[in-house]
Amino acid sequence: MSMNRSFPERRPFFLLVLILASLLILMSHQVRTGQGNTLLEDSLLNVSSPLVKGASGGVGLLSGLWQGYVDLRGARGENLALKSNLERMEEVGRVGEEFRRENLRLRDLLELQRSLEIPSLAAAVVSLGVSSQARTALINRGSKDGVKRDMPVISRKGVVGRIIAVGSGMAKVQLLIDPNSGVAGIFQRSRGQGMVVGVGDRGCRMDYVSDLEDVAVGDVVVTSGLDEIYPKGVTVGVVFSVAEGDQLTKNIFIRPEVDFRHLEEVLVLLTSQEAAGHADLSQ
Amino acid sequence: MTPVWRGILALVLAAGAQVLLSRYFPAAGKMVDFYTVLVMYYAVSRRRVAVMVMGTTAGLVEDLLTHTVLGMNAFKKTLVGYVMGTLGSFFMLSQPLPRFGVLFLATVLEALTEAGLVLVLGQHVVLPSAGDLIRLGMGNGLVGILIYWMVSKLE
Repeated sequence: MSMNRSFPERRPFFLLVLILASLLILMSHQVRTGQGNTLLEDSLLNVSSPLVKGASGGVGLLSGLWQGYVDLRGARGENLALKSNLERMEEVGRVGEEFRRENLRLRDLLELQRSLEIPSLAAAVVSLGVSSQARTALINRGSKDGVKRDMPVISRKGVVGRIIAVGSGMAKVQLLIDPNSGVAGIFQRSRGQGMVVGVGDRGCRMDYVSDLEDVAVGDVVVTSGLDEIYPKGVTVGVVFSVAEGDQLTKNIFIRPEVDFRHLEEVLVLLTSQEAAGHADLSQ
Repeated sequence: MTPVWRGILALVLAAGAQVLLSRYFPAAGKMVDFYTVLVMYYAVSRRRVAVMVMGTTAGLVEDLLTHTVLGMNAFKKTLVGYVMGTLGSFFMLSQPLPRFGVLFLATVLEALTEAGLVLVLGQHVVLPSAGDLIRLGMGNGLVGILIYWMVSKLE
């Protein structure tokens, strides 16, 4: 018998196998196992379970990877949203801090305003003008607010300057450190007098102080009121340098109490020239 | 009459005879299996494909009529028919004695196949007693010889 028989010769055998397999499936579909399943179900379960497990594992792996990707995307989106929120909150915080600081300054200013006998007007510094020859500032108050030329401008720390030009809603302030400014000053301790003039960024110089005057570094200089612009007793600055002059006077340099680089809110003293000189703010 | 219709008629007659015998003469019904006689007739006289078709069909009809597991008798009759048909092609089976032997052997093989099948299906195997098996084999052999002689006369 040849081992290589053709398909037509083997056809009955294949048919037999097909029929028997079909009958086996038919029977196994009816016979129930101990688990209550049919034999077909059990057989299919046994055959398919490794495949299902493998597929399930693969699907689980893919699902895990996909879920990880989705989570990562979600985390990225969340991260961006949180960063955005953080930036917004930082901005809110900055604004809040700005308000807090402004509030403190305004409270100080208000306290100063309440303590003054002279009526005053709060103003905000709009800009600071700095040139080689002038130190000025613009404030947001003008003639319609009652601001007039030569009205003194002070802050909680001391003298700021005086009004030199007035617009309807703005006014220009000549700062204490302006080279053309002049304030009649007096040493708080020795009561020696002189004229405080600005020397730009270096601060102020006090002229016309006698060589015999007892002046020391650290002495506080306040307004004397003799210039009939500034009321008496407003702090001007502190002596930080004293030297012998060449014409029987001392060379005295004063560091102003007011920080002109960070000037923001000021008070305009609504005084007439006549009244200003007689007012005393030293209390 | 075409071979198909003859096969159907033969199957109807075999089924009818088995039902009637089992109903009115239960003891005799246990001693002969007309389906096996029919399939073995095909095995010794027809091609193997026809044997398998008849074995499957007859077995399914028997399963349906006896309310056993559908496919059980079909499986064993198809397999035994195929085997006996293949073996029969090597021998002269036109004489009564060899045909008796074929029918007896087929009966035994069917019993063994059924036992094996039940085992494979995970069920409890209840082997028929030797006496019952011999009686069934002899009954099939004798009835088969008689029927084959009658059919040969009709043809």
